[in-house]
Amino acid sequence: MPPFQNAAATNNRCKATLAQVPHFEGLSSEIQEAIAAAAALRHFDAGQVIYLEGEPADYVYILESGWIKATRMSRDGREQALLFLRPVDIFGDTNVFVGTNYPCTVTTLEAVDVWVISADTLLKLVRQYPDLAMAVIHKLGQRVLNYIELVEDLSLRGVEARLANTLLQHAELVNGQLVVPRREWATFDAMAVRLGTVRDVLARALKGLEADGLLKVGKVEIVLLDPKGLTERSQI
Amino acid sequence: MTEETTQNLDNRLREAVLSCLADEALSFNGLRVGVLNEIVHLAGAAPTLEIRQKAVELVEQIPGVRGVVNRIDAPGAPLPARSVNLNLGNDK
Repeated sequence: MPPFQNAAATNNRCKATLAQVPHFEGLSSEIQEAIAAAAALRHFDAGQVIYLEGEPADYVYILESGWIKATRMSRDGREQALLFLRPVDIFGDTNVFVGTNYPCTVTTLEAVDVWVISADTLLKLVRQYPDLAMAVIHKLGQRVLNYIELVEDLSLRGVEARLANTLLQHAELVNGQLVVPRREWATFDAMAVRLGTVRDVLARALKGLEADGLLKVGKVEIVLLDPKGLTERSQI
Repeated sequence: MTEETTQNLDNRLREAVLSCLADEALSFNGLRVGVLNEIVHLAGAAPTLEIRQKAVELVEQIPGVRGVVNRIDAPGAPLPARSVNLNLGNDK
């Protein structure tokens, strides 16, 4: 593992990042100081691996900048996206508390800065500070809810409905139009992984929605032409 | 198979992979190895494409390995470097 940068010199930067983590913003300055003292800054370029599924879960990460994705390969070799995270958020925390290996592979979608804390240190801090334990419980609870949504999505919705739902969730209003920027969909393969399907099935679903006038696929973005119609299709 | 025994098996495979690649002294930079469901995931950097491929060939020979996902970076490797070699129909 490449050497960590000196964390002491960037203590304030770490605390500023911590203050932006949902559920962590209310932590006392003493707790933030303790976490910052234990954290080290690391940089990853786009496309790099932060950790692999099946590696010992030795570290917890706080995403300060850049996008990451978490994927997991099933026993039959199909890759499923579990999470797409944008700053500021925590990841790698789930398995620290049960002592198992990382359940997924995390890779960077663009250049990323993360704060790294050893799992042992986090466990010590959680035992020492009940408020930190509560913040972590909130975070883990939120993650469970996200996975329940994913299970519902994969088990109860067809590919077209999942596609419509995901497009609506990630659309942004640009010049009066709802668009999904290309950074959300680096490639067709990435889209397929995200939706738990394969490229050909996804391409058919996308073409179907385009043929029905619900969206238009461009080189740098997908324009949602009929959000109401897409909402109806996302329920099927 | 229970969660615990699956992880024990994966952990043993991981140790075998690390040992095998260390024995071969392939000069990786920051080699990373994860094993889940007997599928080996590799990352890190290799000095050449040949060594990147050699790692996969060595790991595939380890009994119990059902497949290799190779994310090792090397000069000339696709970006992001990732190739999948699965032998799922022939569980060892």
